[in-house]
Amino acid sequence: MKLFLPFWSRRRRERELDEEIEAHLSMAIADRMARGETAEDAAANARRELGNEALVKETTRAQWGSGSLERLLQDMRYGLRILRRSPGFTAVAVVTLALGIGANTAILSVVNAILLRPLGYADPDRLVVMLHKGRNPVAPANFLDWRAQSRSFESMGAAEVWSANLTSGGTPEKLSALRMTPEILPTLGVQPLMGRFFLLSEDEAGRDHVVLLAHGLWKRRFGGDPNVIGKPITLNGEPYAVIGVMPPGFIFAPFWSTGSEMWAPLDLRARAASRESSSLRVFARLKKDVQLAAARQEMAAITATLEREFPGTNRDVQVIPLQEKVVGGVRPALLVLLGAVGLVLLIACTNVANMLLARSSARQKEIALRAALGASRGRTIRQLLTESLVLALAGGIAGVALGAWSLRILVALAPPFFPRLSDIRLDPRVLVATFLLSLLTGVAFGLVPALQASSVHLQDALKDVGAAGSGREARTMRWIFVAAEVALAIVLLVGAGLMVRSFVALRKIDPGFDPRGVVTMEVSVAGTRQAEIGRRPVLYKEILERFAAVPGVRAAGAINHIPIAGDIWGWPYVIEGRPIPRPGESPVAAYRAVMPGYFRTMRLPILRGRDVAPTDTLGASGVVLVNEFLARRVWPGQDPIGKRIALDGPDDNPSWLTVIGVVKNAVQSNWSTDPDDEVYLSLLQRRALIESPHPQEAYVTFVARTDGDPATLVPSLRAAVWGIDRTLPISEVRTMQEIVFHANGRARFQTLLLAAFAAVAALLSAVGIYGVMSYAVSKRTREIGVRMALGADPGDVLRLVVGQGMAVAVAGAGAGLLAALLLTRLISTLLYGVKATDPMTYAGVAALLLAIALLASYLPARRAAHIDPMRALRAE
Amino acid sequence: MVEPREPYKNPIELLQGTLDLLVLQTLTWAPQHGYGIAHAIRAGSREALQVDTGSLYPALHRLEREGAVASEWKTSENKQRVKVYRLTAAGRKKLTQERSRWDRLMEAMAGVLDATKAPSEA
Repeated sequence: MKLFLPFWSRRRRERELDEEIEAHLSMAIADRMARGETAEDAAANARRELGNEALVKETTRAQWGSGSLERLLQDMRYGLRILRRSPGFTAVAVVTLALGIGANTAILSVVNAILLRPLGYADPDRLVVMLHKGRNPVAPANFLDWRAQSRSFESMGAAEVWSANLTSGGTPEKLSALRMTPEILPTLGVQPLMGRFFLLSEDEAGRDHVVLLAHGLWKRRFGGDPNVIGKPITLNGEPYAVIGVMPPGFIFAPFWSTGSEMWAPLDLRARAASRESSSLRVFARLKKDVQLAAARQEMAAITATLEREFPGTNRDVQVIPLQEKVVGGVRPALLVLLGAVGLVLLIACTNVANMLLARSSARQKEIALRAALGASRGRTIRQLLTESLVLALAGGIAGVALGAWSLRILVALAPPFFPRLSDIRLDPRVLVATFLLSLLTGVAFGLVPALQASSVHLQDALKDVGAAGSGREARTMRWIFVAAEVALAIVLLVGAGLMVRSFVALRKIDPGFDPRGVVTMEVSVAGTRQAEIGRRPVLYKEILERFAAVPGVRAAGAINHIPIAGDIWGWPYVIEGRPIPRPGESPVAAYRAVMPGYFRTMRLPILRGRDVAPTDTLGASGVVLVNEFLARRVWPGQDPIGKRIALDGPDDNPSWLTVIGVVKNAVQSNWSTDPDDEVYLSLLQRRALIESPHPQEAYVTFVARTDGDPATLVPSLRAAVWGIDRTLPISEVRTMQEIVFHANGRARFQTLLLAAFAAVAALLSAVGIYGVMSYAVSKRTREIGVRMALGADPGDVLRLVVGQGMAVAVAGAGAGLLAALLLTRLISTLLYGVKATDPMTYAGVAALLLAIALLASYLPARRAAHIDPMRALRAE
Repeated sequence: MVEPREPYKNPIELLQGTLDLLVLQTLTWAPQHGYGIAHAIRAGSREALQVDTGSLYPALHRLEREGAVASEWKTSENKQRVKVYRLTAAGRKKLTQERSRWDRLMEAMAGVLDATKAPSEA
């Protein structure tokens, strides 16, 4: 059978049929006239003989048959007509579906962009990262050995953080940058927008003064100059040449230092033998025929051999797929969100299915009529399903619009926990997925009502026995749907409740310092004349003095790496009088170096002892403050003041450092991580920080406190720095509160989204419960009237109706709590300070939903109890 | 087939399925248009079988769809464009089948009718 009769062919057939009947008539008339009838009689009789011309044509046309697609279009036209006839129903259903589908579209877009294709690199599945314990950087000699000895990789390269003070052409600026061995970019399988990549010979001192620019930097600092290649620029006071520009959207590195805007070759020759200073992240591409497991095995063997030769240097080396490293952290949250929007959609489906059930009971007479006229059950189901699909597609279209809109809000609200988040948009893949989802939705919510409605008992329906559509099955089905809805809403609300409680717990964390009123800014001396030996202590002191003189500044200080936002260096240390640990087994403390006034500015209390003093300089004996955690762990029950530790770093000039104070535990880098060892040294005593020209050591972060909004201080603080030296780059100007806000960004975002979805779910299920309750009451009007006429008290009626609704709600709530208990285990990794089985949350959510159910059944019940019995009896 | 003695005032309602047989049989003589087929059946049955237009055209279109007949437009002697149906090979086969089915039915009917008549007369 033809799938589809083109409409033109159909039109021609219509015309031919007209002509055929016309010919029939005129021949009949001619015959009659030949037999002697008058022209008038002949015409009239011939017509009478022909019968109802329209009916003849109609039945003839019916023989042509029609393609299945054509029938589908017919059904859809009919469906549209039906939907147009009840605009209220249609609007509610479409809005409900749009909420469900829109939420899915938005989250699917995020998942698509982040989880399914996060990196702009070629064949990213074969890219791996090698780090100690999956996160700690690698020493140069280890990298060189791994690269020389391994056979599993096509290529291997390493990169390390670099900061570049750009002082030519405009305001001095400290750029976030990386140095990398020349193999890395080809390993990633990317191409420059213009220019070239590094040559293998350019990783050598003297030839390594070439840079690649990020697209954004090229636009911002070079005005998108097409002749930028070969241009000389000044970085850290030295001449460099631009050799290329990367395409827009290129990001490297993808999981740390993601804001890098400039790349230069890395010369490892001077450090080729070092297994101590670990600063490299190693990237490699697996050979085509090598599995990850095989590469891991090979690396395990190589590092085991190296570890035997150089103990403590090759421990816990992990080979991690790059994708995993990049998105591993957000995957659980995204999957939970995906689950949440799935639940929202399920609730929406249940709601619409319920509405359809109620409506199909009202349409039972129509359906019975169709059946009486010969429509088969299959035909009726198809018709009803088509209506559902039309509804679902309308919901889908509205949902995509809603999704696109909410995606914009979502991207605006999202913390920059993933660099390409701003690139998220609705792409064809998501649209196709949404389309399929809509169809699936249509079947999901349409099938049960269609099956239900098509199984009408012809006689009963046509004879109008009792209330139409009060079939026991349909009623049971509706109650099951309501219970399911309550259960689904409970699962979502419990999830959201746990997230909210976890977020509250996060908010309650005491960072140790008081972030309000503090502004921070980095000042770098790299490449300026202030980098010269002897200048930095003077400069830093002078900046602090000038800051203190700015009106409104209550306190000022400086630190090498600010908590949370700053880099974090871990240094092994030894304790005086304790056995020296074996290599690689020393305890490690977070290393910070401060100028006097830092603790006061941050309001980070010194619990015992004193702050560093301006006199704690290179010449004086070494001092250190330790955090409470370290003091308690190392010297439990003793006074740590006067005890000595040593950092076995390369520049342990005053090898023993005397503990002069104990500082309250402060947040280090991760907001919710438990406290760990931390030491504060006198910055003026750290030779590297005041003498090394290395850009990683030639900068400090100044902090200043005021009573009001610290952002207002920024212009005066900038002026104070530039009043001393106009060439000093100032960067990372932020308030401490912004930094804290940012640190909580992901948790806040997840909580917000989950809470929003849960609110939508609660609203939808409230609407659903209310709808079914009031429908049930309206169907029982007569019964209620009879009861009241027989003397039932309005209170009895109220109890009857409310009791019925609540029984269903309680059953649903029980199932929901059970499901939540099982499902919330999945989010336990996202929770802080609250267990996935938190009884408060469960009880609260159950109470909330039961209250909604109570209200939703009470209002219709009260209406029922106030019905005039006579009117109720006359109803129907 | 029932053989009426004189032209009927009240035409016989055609049995289900018989119209196809009549139409196909009529077309074995020559291709014919719808009116011609109706006319031929009426004349052949001496006015006993009146073919209802509302049955004839649906039947023709259905047979055409089934491939038993094919049609083409021709111009009649009095310059009228008419749709003329002719029997196809499939139609001939169908005619044979329908014919034998009809014969069996008649035989069976006759057997029953004669058998039930006999005892009541005895």
